[in-house]
This record gives sequence, C-alpha cells and structure tokens, in this order.
Amino acid sequence: MNRQENVIHALLADGDTLDAASLPWRVCELCVRRLSLSAASVALISGPQSRGSLAAGGRLAGRVEELQFRLGEGPCVEAFDHGVPALEPDLAAGGLARWPGFARAALALGVRAVFAVPLQVGAARVGALDLARDTAGPLDGDELADVLVLADVTTSAVLFLQSGAPDGALGATLAQAGSDRIVVHQATGMVSAQLRIPVADALARLRAFAVATDRDLDEVAGAVVGRRLRLDE
Amino acid sequence: MTGQEGASVVREQRLVRAFVELADTLVSGFDVVEFMSMLAARSVDLLDLAAAGVLLDDQRGQLRVVAASDEKVRLLELLELQHDGGPCTEAFHRGVAVQVGAAEALRRWPRFATQAAGLGYQVMCALPLRLRDQTVGALNLFRATTQPLDAVDLGVGQALADVATIGLLQERSMRESRLLAEQLQVALNSRVALEQAKGVLAEQTGLSIDQAFEVLRRFARQHNLRLVDVARRVVSGELSGSGIAGL
Repeated sequence: MNRQENVIHALLADGDTLDAASLPWRVCELCVRRLSLSAASVALISGPQSRGSLAAGGRLAGRVEELQFRLGEGPCVEAFDHGVPALEPDLAAGGLARWPGFARAALALGVRAVFAVPLQVGAARVGALDLARDTAGPLDGDELADVLVLADVTTSAVLFLQSGAPDGALGATLAQAGSDRIVVHQATGMVSAQLRIPVADALARLRAFAVATDRDLDEVAGAVVGRRLRLDE
Repeated sequence: MTGQEGASVVREQRLVRAFVELADTLVSGFDVVEFMSMLAARSVDLLDLAAAGVLLDDQRGQLRVVAASDEKVRLLELLELQHDGGPCTEAFHRGVAVQVGAAEALRRWPRFATQAAGLGYQVMCALPLRLRDQTVGALNLFRATTQPLDAVDLGVGQALADVATIGLLQERSMRESRLLAEQLQVALNSRVALEQAKGVLAEQTGLSIDQAFEVLRRFARQHNLRLVDVARRVVSGELSGSGIAGL
C-alpha cells in the first residue's frame, strides 16, 4: 500500500462509510489521535478578512484558530498567503520572531509547536490545515508526509462539498463554516461607517481593540453590533 | 547485436524519449492541442507511419479532430469524415483497437476508404484513448505500405495513447477543481461582503441588522440587481445607506 492508501485506510478505520461532510472532522481526529499533534483544525480562507473553521479536533484547536483570526497572523495565515507549508517546531524560539503576537498568546495557552499546510489546487487556495502540539520538535518525515496527504484529501472533500452549489453560493456544509464569524463581519461594517474608513482598516481597528483589551474578537464584535461599544468615541 | 536488435534498442530509446517529452508537457503547463500534436508526431516516428491524427470526444457525443501529424487539408478531411463511420469511430465506441487494410476499409466505410486510398494509405488503424471505463477519443494511424502494424507496434501505440489519456483526464479534473476552488473563494467573499454591508447600513441608518438586511434585499429586487453586488457597493461607499433605505 502506498502512503495515500494508508492514510485513506486510517480515515476509514472507524467506520465503513465516509462522506465528504464528515471527512474534515475525521482528518482532525486522526491528526490528534494517531499523529503526535494535540490540536487540528480545517480553516476555509478566502483572504485576510474571511476565515472560518470547517472542522476541529483537540482541546486547543478553537483557541489557536481564534487567535489567528484575532491577530491576523500565524502559521495558517502564512501557509494560505504563500501557498507552502508553514512549519514552526519551536514556537518559543523561531515562532516569537515570526509571529510575535500569535506566538506569545499561543505559548500562554501551552502550545509549543505549530504547523500549517495550505489546501490548494494549483494556484487556487481554499484554506489550510492548521496543527498545533504541546511539545516542541519537528514533525518527523513520515508525519509530515501523512499531513501533506491529509491536506490533499481534505481539499478534495472541500471541493466536492462545493460542487453543485449554485453560482455565487456556498455548498450547504461549507456555509456552516465561519458562520460564527458573521458578527465580526457585521461589526466591521459598522466600524467602517462609524470611522468612515475602508472595511479592511475597520477590521484592523477591531482586532487592535480586542488585543489591547485582551478580549476575544467575537466578544468585541458582539458589543459593537449590540451598540454597547463604538470605536469612534 | 543483430541489426534487428539494434533497431529495437534505438526504438526503445526513442520511445522513452517520447514519454519523457509527453510528461514534460504535462508538468510545464498543459495545452491539449500541443500535447496531442506531439502524440501524433511521435506515433509517426516510432511506428513507421505515413500519418497520424487524434480525435477527441467533444463531451457531447461527437468526435472532433484536435491534432494531426501534418496539417494537410486532405488528411484533416479524412479524419473528419469518420463521422459517417471509420476506424476511429469504431475504436471509440467499442473501446478496442481496430486495424483494416484497403479492401476491408472499402467494404465497410466506402467514403472514408476512397479518400484514404487517394492519399496513398494502405493500412488504417485506430487505438482508443481509454482509461478504465472512460473513452475520451481515439488515435488514428495510417501506413502507406501494405504491412499491418504487428503486436509490438500496437503495444507501443497503445502505450502512447494511454499516457495521452491520463494526461488529458488529469488536466480536465484539475481544471474542474480549479474552477470549484475559485467559485468557493467567490462565495466566501460574497458572504463577508453581505455581512459587512448589513453593518454599514445598520450604522448609517440606525436600523437593526435584520432590518438592514431586508432593506438590502428589497433594493436589490426593485432594481433587479444581485444582492452581492448591492452589498459590495454599500461596503465601498458607492451606495449610501440612507439612499438605499429611502430615508
């Protein structure tokens, strides 16, 4: 059996059927249970403003994902932007120089190493497979190869879930990803109108406010949309 | 080494080179016509042919000529003629290799055979471009001598056809995947724009998020615009919230 077959076999081991909607979850599960990783998530990304989590596994996955969205930096952002894996085996050393804000916050959560692989077809990217571990050290050769195959399998599943969707719309399963970010986008629009600045800058303001007050971006956004907080005061 | 062995070694080297060439084209940006022209040209070199051509299924059930070893109009016409029947049509529909001499061709496909005879072709062969249960076209081979292609020739020809088929199918599925990935990006961005527009509108008008959405929807419907286009224009400031809400 080649590596790809092995990985698919492992994905199937728990049950005999595997549908595209549950595949991203299985991938995260497998990373956490069978590989050395402590958190895994599949992020759908279309740019600096849009990212949503399609699936996650491991206790810290949601936190690591939220941190990267809040700070606008981290392995997943880098892997998506550059189209190559972002591997940081020692967050406390290289990580601090690479993503100062993210590394400090992730270290505080107990994360010691992070790895992200883009989900892509040729030059077109749809997101990233985002991995974290609570011990420092690189992925060994086999693990890295498995992770690359898992990213490919996940990409296929994502594209399958998008196939058949009406033009301009998201496939039903994919539409759930990032729906928790809706409030952030709404708040971005409100701040953009309050300060008369472009939405990209408005999101940057929201992020900066969340970092400065040490609150989750979602929470800050909720306060803006609930009209309990204005950024022009 | 006997003369025959020498010839076979030379052919093997040329075959390997042809495969490498086909594989290179696959890696360095794929052009179907260029790829199939190479397949036709290499087939002529390797199989001692007078001409070769490639027909592909246009995915609407018709075979179309995409490449030939030379661009002589009469060769292209001959390849096209097989709509009415010919070795390519048969290889394509049955998924097997078909080889006939001039006499049998005349009996089975008179129009095709007459044109082929006019070009001096004595042996006509067609190999399916097939991967598992999917046939995507056929490779047409013509010899000017009465010597039919032997088993080794047919094997070499089919191997070339197989590589071409894999390349073609890979390219098609890559193209479909890329298209899906792009659609997904557009859909994700549309959703973001719509939510941001609700926020902009709610802030500008004092409406709730839900009311802002209703206003956006109504405006799009009344002006026969796509919701996402209205949203983008609200976000960019091109449309003012108060204008849209009729306030």
